[in-house]
Amino acid sequence: MTTAHSPAARNAAVHDSAAGLLDTAAVSAEPVPQLTSSGALTLDEAYRIQRLLIGRRLARGERISGVKLGFTSRTKAAQMGVFDVIFGRLTDGMRIADGGRIALGRYVHPRVEPEVAFRLGTDIGPGDDLDPESAVDAVAPALEVIDSRYRDFRFTLQDVVADNTSASGYVLGPWTRLADAGDLANRGVRLEIDGRTAETGSTAAILGHPLRAVHAAVRMARVQGHTLRAGTVLLAGAATPAVALTPGTSVEATVTGLGRAGFTVGEATDE
Amino acid sequence: MNTTEPGAGPAARDLTPEQAAAAERLRAAAVARTPCAPVRDLIGDTDQDAAYAVQSAVLADRLAAGARRVGRKIGLTSPSVQRQFGVFTPDYGVLLDDMVLTDREPVDLGRFLQPRIEAEVAFVIGRDLDDEAVTAAEVIRATDFLLPALEIVDSRVAGWDIRITDTVADNASSGALVLGTTPRPLSAVDLPGLGMALDHRGEIVSTGSGAACLGTPVAAVVWLAREAARRGAPLRAGETVLSGALGPMVPVTGPGVFRARLDGLGEVHADFIRGTRDVQEGAAA
Repeated sequence: MTTAHSPAARNAAVHDSAAGLLDTAAVSAEPVPQLTSSGALTLDEAYRIQRLLIGRRLARGERISGVKLGFTSRTKAAQMGVFDVIFGRLTDGMRIADGGRIALGRYVHPRVEPEVAFRLGTDIGPGDDLDPESAVDAVAPALEVIDSRYRDFRFTLQDVVADNTSASGYVLGPWTRLADAGDLANRGVRLEIDGRTAETGSTAAILGHPLRAVHAAVRMARVQGHTLRAGTVLLAGAATPAVALTPGTSVEATVTGLGRAGFTVGEATDE
Repeated sequence: MNTTEPGAGPAARDLTPEQAAAAERLRAAAVARTPCAPVRDLIGDTDQDAAYAVQSAVLADRLAAGARRVGRKIGLTSPSVQRQFGVFTPDYGVLLDDMVLTDREPVDLGRFLQPRIEAEVAFVIGRDLDDEAVTAAEVIRATDFLLPALEIVDSRVAGWDIRITDTVADNASSGALVLGTTPRPLSAVDLPGLGMALDHRGEIVSTGSGAACLGTPVAAVVWLAREAARRGAPLRAGETVLSGALGPMVPVTGPGVFRARLDGLGEVHADFIRGTRDVQEGAAA
């Protein structure tokens, strides 16, 4: 029944073209209208588009380096009217070196948020039944650059899932072995721009406890049939609201007891 | 005799008729437990000296009725709240003995008009701080110990329709406070780095950190010590200072427990109950 004119084939073509649209938007840093403005999408379809979108990055030679969660803060989830987290994929092409510099021209309207990152020490396949926390070997302070490919940074739940949860860049600070990191439930988090405090918060904003993000990510990966490899980075979620990036500034996140991660933003004219 | 009490200020100074009317409006709202109009129509919306004069006049009545000064609270310590109010400094109010509750002690909702709650670090001061140019080092040396605290802020002004002079005149929108009971020395706590999580019925309702309070709560207490000395009511040994919110405040809409966890400082619980106050008054009426 998969002739070129069957509904399944037509859907596949629609999803592929949606992925193409979002990929081009990311590569050219030109925003596009919301996918849902031209037709409804289910959450499953949105995740299918996300996989196709990542497929295009992989075809260009990027490799999967991690996964991320969105809507891990109660306020943000309530704003979107959702009760579950969303799942996105990170590639090595999104990695920004700690202390590195980014060119704003590569992004549509980037924002930054301070996070906590975990690293897996063992593989977790979709069928594996091990305690997710036992697979985590280290934790680090992190920054995530989010950049919606949609105009005005506005989207529905399905739109943002299809757009790989606005994933765009990430910076990792120093790793601490999880066994040495102590209780991570309620660490102070600070986001500084040019040395001034821009946002403050607590790791408790991440699902009440950042380690809950590990469980959520493993559950989501299982549903997605996504094998989490040893070395996979898990961005657990934001500890404060996101802040828009401006040219010629330095950005630093501090998580109490874990250290710092930072980068600088190039001038608007930088390539 | 008043001048030796913590926080005693020039309360009895002459008020303008407008300031006296503002004090009377706030006093009447508190007594009737019915919110009133803002007072900025009487004292303007920029003159903080006038607003502190009104605050002292309202407090003078409560002191005359037997209340005792036990400390201060610092408000407007978050940059976003300062922007919202169009000011660049915090403000302060006076804490009276009947506002102070202990961890897990039931808190009667009937005593408030429109309560909101926020988690803070309380400083207990061990020596007088008379100098208008007191330093951070002197404040640190003068701090006996820290306690985790929940502040229940409240406004006598209907709908919290307040500007800087309304809140200062209304004793910095103070309501009550709940003090935790596990003292920690300042030297044992990373104040700017401490995380704060406030939860209610199993849900996190506010999160923040020590850095949210002017960069560090110590900076807020330094501001208070200088401002209080400048206004002739310096901080005294024994005062409890609520240093300012560590995260967004949350409305209290009914009975139940709010728990604040301050990383390294322990926990404190406010257990709100529907008390008997309204019922008794209704019966008496």
